[in-house]
Amino acid sequence: MLRYSLKRLAQSMVTLFIIITVVFLLLRLMPEEGYFGQAYEKLDEAQREAILTSMGLRDPIHIQLLKFYKSILSGDLGTSMIYRPKVPIAEILRAKIPYSLYFGLTAVLISLVAGVSLGIIMAKSKSKIWDKLGTGYIVFINAVPAAVYYLFIQLYVTDILKLPILFKPDNPSSWILPAISMSLGGTASYAMWMRRYMVDELNKDYVRLAKAKGLKSKAIMVRHVFRNAFVPMAQYLPSTLLYTISGSIYIESLYSIPGMGGLLVDVIQRQDNTVVQALVLIYSSIGIIGLFLGDILMALFDPRINLQKKGGAR
Amino acid sequence: MEDKKVILSVKDLVVKFRLRGKILTAIREASLDLYEGESLAIVGESGSGKSVFTKTFMGLLDANGWVDSGSIMFEGQDLAKFKSEKDWLKIRGKNIAMVFQDPMTSLNPLKTIGKQVQEAVELHQGLRKQEAKEAVIEILKDVGISESERRYKQYPYEFSGGMRQRVVIAIAIACKPKILICDEPTTALDVTIQAQILNLLKRLKDKYNLTTIYITHDLGVVANVADRIAVMYAGDIIEIGTCEEVFYNPQHRYTWALLSSLPQLGIKGKPLHSIKGTPPNLFYDIKGDAFAPRNPKALKIDFIKKPPYFSVSPTHKAKTWLLDPRAPKAEPPESIAALRKQWRMIKND
Repeated sequence: MLRYSLKRLAQSMVTLFIIITVVFLLLRLMPEEGYFGQAYEKLDEAQREAILTSMGLRDPIHIQLLKFYKSILSGDLGTSMIYRPKVPIAEILRAKIPYSLYFGLTAVLISLVAGVSLGIIMAKSKSKIWDKLGTGYIVFINAVPAAVYYLFIQLYVTDILKLPILFKPDNPSSWILPAISMSLGGTASYAMWMRRYMVDELNKDYVRLAKAKGLKSKAIMVRHVFRNAFVPMAQYLPSTLLYTISGSIYIESLYSIPGMGGLLVDVIQRQDNTVVQALVLIYSSIGIIGLFLGDILMALFDPRINLQKKGGAR
Repeated sequence: MEDKKVILSVKDLVVKFRLRGKILTAIREASLDLYEGESLAIVGESGSGKSVFTKTFMGLLDANGWVDSGSIMFEGQDLAKFKSEKDWLKIRGKNIAMVFQDPMTSLNPLKTIGKQVQEAVELHQGLRKQEAKEAVIEILKDVGISESERRYKQYPYEFSGGMRQRVVIAIAIACKPKILICDEPTTALDVTIQAQILNLLKRLKDKYNLTTIYITHDLGVVANVADRIAVMYAGDIIEIGTCEEVFYNPQHRYTWALLSSLPQLGIKGKPLHSIKGTPPNLFYDIKGDAFAPRNPKALKIDFIKKPPYFSVSPTHKAKTWLLDPRAPKAEPPESIAALRKQWRMIKND
């Protein structure tokens, strides 16, 4: 396992290196007007040159790249250029990440518990009323654009339950609806996959044998079926958890939560290269770590998966 | 056989299934007395109801199937009346255990072999932890798994098909059942492994004094392991008798046809016999003898009235009008006639 992890780590570093380099170079291809936004018209040629030089954009490209690598290796994400000039990026993120993380993790937790339970209930009462209701919910969530029911929840549910429309950090009741809204989609997809995998497993021969052995159906569910059905979902769990850091654009803007949602879009539009680079670095690291943890988790759940040997189980 | 105690008695069992809005009758008033300690083989072609018939003894019918009428008496209880899981838990494993057809899929892939056998041990022998583990290792040895301490910790994917079937058998044995139902236990296995598994089952039957039911369409298996044979067709047992009786002196036209289809009984240079037509559609009511439409020499009454059992000997009976004293004398096909000749020689010896 250790050798596998090290090998995997080395591969990940190469991937990461390629990603940040490509993104760095692409950003330098952006039109220079973008760096000035609305102010472009008001500045003359010399002023523009001065600003670009001060931002280090007039250095030869390989010098810029080397500087960038150096600062990353020393753990420094740099300072923002345009979004909030001269403010360290780490500081910007430090203020935003906790909100996104809080809402994201709460939402994943809610959707995991609710979705998996709903999936199990649906599988157990296949083709009966609970299954049909659950399917109705899943179809609704998948068919209706999220923005629609997010808006409805904000407009009407806040009214019915007397909850605040906007987010205020010091008011705990304003934390509830954003977290629940965010979990609706996840609940639907966890329920859908859980039901599907449970039904698959319930029809397998080993369930019949467990029954013939004289096990209670509850014990069969808990000891045999659940674990088998959960394995294919376990793989994606770490990525899902880690990605909550990026926040939800919709929810955060709807409730004015000062989180990470939309930050990437924002800084790309404003061509704040250093922030874009920092975010890309963070997101791609998360993606790589998530996949790696997913593989490890799968191997822990399923003994047939051997991460070291190619070809796996016979 | 007469002096033996009946352990399980099935009377006029009718099993139905609901399928795509229609009702299918899978078992049509089948009756069977199973004697303690015997080894009975149920043979018949695919879809004749062999598996469904035995599944009703354990309440393992699929959700869309049910026992419509009839009784299954076991130790003074009528299993046909069982409804709840609680009732069945008294029977499953403890009294009747089952070995399934496909060992590759019969075991939970994520649990060690040992744990899967141990579940049965803990459930039915009341042993715990270390004691239970020792019992499991003993049982694994018993079914011919060497190095059982090491094997205890292994997962199904580390076992071959034959070894997995041994584990499935170990699970059944660990329940300490009175009756063991083997549903095509060797069908999914290599020919060389088949004999080993059959020998193992025979040995365990003697050791634990089991009553066994084999479901198979392999008549070679039957000859190897069974004391008695029940021939099933379209959800009914149409002929039953000792191995010799059914093999050498078959009475029902279907049994004739079935035996004539055996490659071993084919006559050199002649095409192998095959039964024309298809089994009846179980969605419709079947009138008379279910085999009549496929039987070129069927009597008129075969299409009108279902034949009752006619006894050939105290242990041998068949549901065919041919055995009625009023029936015309029917000549069996060549191969069956040859068998009968052998039968008379055996009897005269």
